[in-house]
Parts: sequence; structure tokens; C-alpha cells
Amino acid sequence: MRLFENSPGHGCTPGGVVMKIHEKILTHYLSCTSPVDKEGYLYKKRERNTTYLRRWFVLKGNLLFYQERPGDRNLLGVIVLEGCLVQACETDGQFCFSLVFTGPGLRTYRLAADDHLSQESWIGALFCASHIYLSMIVRDLERRYEEAKKDKGLCDSIQTSAVTSSSNNIMASWNSGQPYFVHGTSIVPRDGRSYSTSSVPPPSTQNRPISYSLHAPPIQFKTTNKRSPKLWPKRNAHVIPLNGPAPSYGEWPVVNFDPLEEFSKLHEYYGNEIKQLRAEWLKKKRGEVGHVEEDLIDLG
Amino acid sequence: MRFNEKELVFLSRQPPERAAELGMRGPKKGDVVKRRVVKLIVNFLFYFRTDEDEPIGALLLEQCRVEREDDQVFSIVFLDEAERKYLFECDSQEQCVEWIDAIVKASYEFMRKNLIYYRTEIHRLTGTDPLEQYGISDETRFQVFLVLQSASIHHCHLLCFL
Repeated sequence: MRLFENSPGHGCTPGGVVMKIHEKILTHYLSCTSPVDKEGYLYKKRERNTTYLRRWFVLKGNLLFYQERPGDRNLLGVIVLEGCLVQACETDGQFCFSLVFTGPGLRTYRLAADDHLSQESWIGALFCASHIYLSMIVRDLERRYEEAKKDKGLCDSIQTSAVTSSSNNIMASWNSGQPYFVHGTSIVPRDGRSYSTSSVPPPSTQNRPISYSLHAPPIQFKTTNKRSPKLWPKRNAHVIPLNGPAPSYGEWPVVNFDPLEEFSKLHEYYGNEIKQLRAEWLKKKRGEVGHVEEDLIDLG
Repeated sequence: MRFNEKELVFLSRQPPERAAELGMRGPKKGDVVKRRVVKLIVNFLFYFRTDEDEPIGALLLEQCRVEREDDQVFSIVFLDEAERKYLFECDSQEQCVEWIDAIVKASYEFMRKNLIYYRTEIHRLTGTDPLEQYGISDETRFQVFLVLQSASIHHCHLLCFL
């Protein structure tokens, strides 16, 4: 058994396991510019004690960091959220929940929130925090994206027929493909949720179970406006999935260049759309008013 | 700093995305190349002595840059510091390329961006938000604006057009 004393980021557990976690890499990830997923005070139960200590928790990616208070330079610890279940538990009192790591000799972290809202919010955030969960969702979305593109391609290519058809594909609930986590981080919709977000139109069916049906959109004969829908932010220029398929619509400038290095191209691209929009606007305005004021700025 | 070591060790025993024996060299001056069993699992790179079952270390693959150093050699640089450059020697060019690809795609932040991309695209193509049925469409971590936020750091003057 190897013991390291006064070495940062070394574990030391009975049974002789010592592993270096490279603390500085973790703290750098925590403090870098990518957004934090959730933060706030929670109570954390001590491992061999019944007392709960108030700690400031920061959730980023699949890592849950904790320290005494916000802004503390000294991090007390981090919990890697892979292979755990997140459960509400009322045994220790109100607003408690646990991170149950499933496996021989593995720990359960007991936490508690200040109120019901906070408890729900934290459970929700931790529930979908693991890398495994995220990768399952991404794989599923990738497949659905390919299908949606194919369906759309089919729709756009039919020009004369007035027949609308829809195909029902009942998707079997997919296998997580990760059999080793006993309970699995299976994708189940959380119960009792009915959210309405102002930015997204409500879907046609609510609270579907894992198996869902994919309807092909009805076939239209006029070309649809291919601009990004108003309800969603127009641009995701920084998203460049390395593995992503080439976009079939010319408006997404995502694969040909790295925007960080060829900013002028990106600038020119957006500039063109703005110029176009502006030209249309100007035309419309002239029609209404008869004259248009001069530009305040020279847009070139 | 404390961390859930037992749980991480348990994780290191799970089926890896990719595993191989590679030559590995640490970032410090005087570090030499050592044969290690390297396993990529979620966004961690675990490394083991070739004859041991317990990992001696785990590298979090976030905020790092992966580069081709040579035909069969790649490096991972953390914190943008040359002092934190780890070298990995592969047995072939193909293996080297595959490792680089796998490590880049393993990052949580990379996957998050992909999710947001697909979410937006599926919504654009079908009119429905694919995250609704999982009950996670409101989670901050999957919001589309996150991408704009990171884009704005580099292209802040673009916002004047929007």
C-alpha cells in the first residue's frame, strides 16, 4: 500500500488504493469560462457522522464541486457523477436527497436542500448530469436528426402531388448499451412535470414515454422559408460537431472553417444576410413612405 | 481536495471507449516515457502500470488541447501550459489518429455542443423540441443560448448585427 502525505489530489483509502486526480486540471475546468450548470448552498452529511454541514456546491458537466462558501479559493472536494442514482429521500428529514453509487463498497452521499423547490431543482440537474446520460441522449438525437433530414428531403422533392402522407415509426426504447451499471442511468421522463417555456412552442403530445412515434411532416408544394425559426436564437455558429454531417441547407456555415481562425469569413457571411434583410426592409419602406432616411452608420 | 476515489476506480473498471498500452510521458522536466495501459472512459483518461489493476491516475479531458506531435505521437496540453503537456506514443499512425479523435469527442463540453446542435436542427426540421419527451427541455445545461454565450466571447462585435 502506498501512502502519499501532503500531496494534493491523491486519494487514500483503506485497501491500498491511491490514485492521482490532477487537482489543478479539475479546478481549471471549474473556473474557466464555460458556464456553470448549477450552484447553491446544500447541506452535506458527513461520512461517519450524523451532522450536516452547509457547503457551497457547484455543478459543472459531470462534476459536483463543493467548498465552504462561494468565492473560496480552497475547494473542499469534488464528486464525479458517474454511475450514481439520484433519489429524494425523506429519512433524515425534509428536502433530503442522495447520490447512490451502485457497486460493491461504494458510497452514498446524503445531501439536503433548504426548501422543496431547491431540492427538486437540484435533483433534476443532477439526474441528467452524467456523461453516460448525455452521450445516450446525443446518440439518440443524432439518429433522429438523420431521420428528420431524410424525411424533409422526401417532402421537399415532391412537387405536384397533393397527397399528404405521414409515416409512423414507433421507436423501440433503446438499449442503453451500458450494462455494467446495475440500475442504469436509463432515460425515463421525470414525473409530474409540465413545463411551459416561453421560447419553445408546446409539442403536439405531452409526456410521452420512451417509445415515441416520429411523424413525417406533411408534404408541401411551396418552398418553405429556410431561415431559422424566430422562436429559437438564429445562430449557433460556434457549434461545429466534428462528427457532424454536412448541413444540407446553405445557411449553416458550420463545417467549412473554424470561426476562431477565419473570423473574416464568418463576418462576411453574417454580413451578407444582414445586407439582404436590410435591402428587403428598405424596399418595403420605400413602398410605404416614399423616401427613406439616410443611414446613421455606413454599413459598407 | 477530496474526491470519490473508490467510485472513480470502479468507473475505471468499466468497458472503456478505448484502451491500449502506450508510451506515456509526464509534463515535468526529467519525466521519461513509461509504458502504461491507458483507458478512455467517459471524459477521463485513466492510466495504469502494465501489471496492475488499479489506476495510478486519472486525467479529466476538459479544457485541453490534443495535438499530433509526430507520426505516432500525440500530446494533451492542459491549462494552455506547456508545463502540463502529456505525451503519448502509439504503435502506428492509425492508432494515433484514432486516439486523438476519441479524446476530442470524449469531452463533456464537446458532447454538450453536439446535443444543442441536434436539438436546434431537429426543432427546425420538425417543429418539435426533442428534449421535451425526456422532461429535460428546461435544464440550463442544454439551453441553446449557451452556445451563443461562448461564441460571444470571441466574436463580441457580431452582436451589433443581431
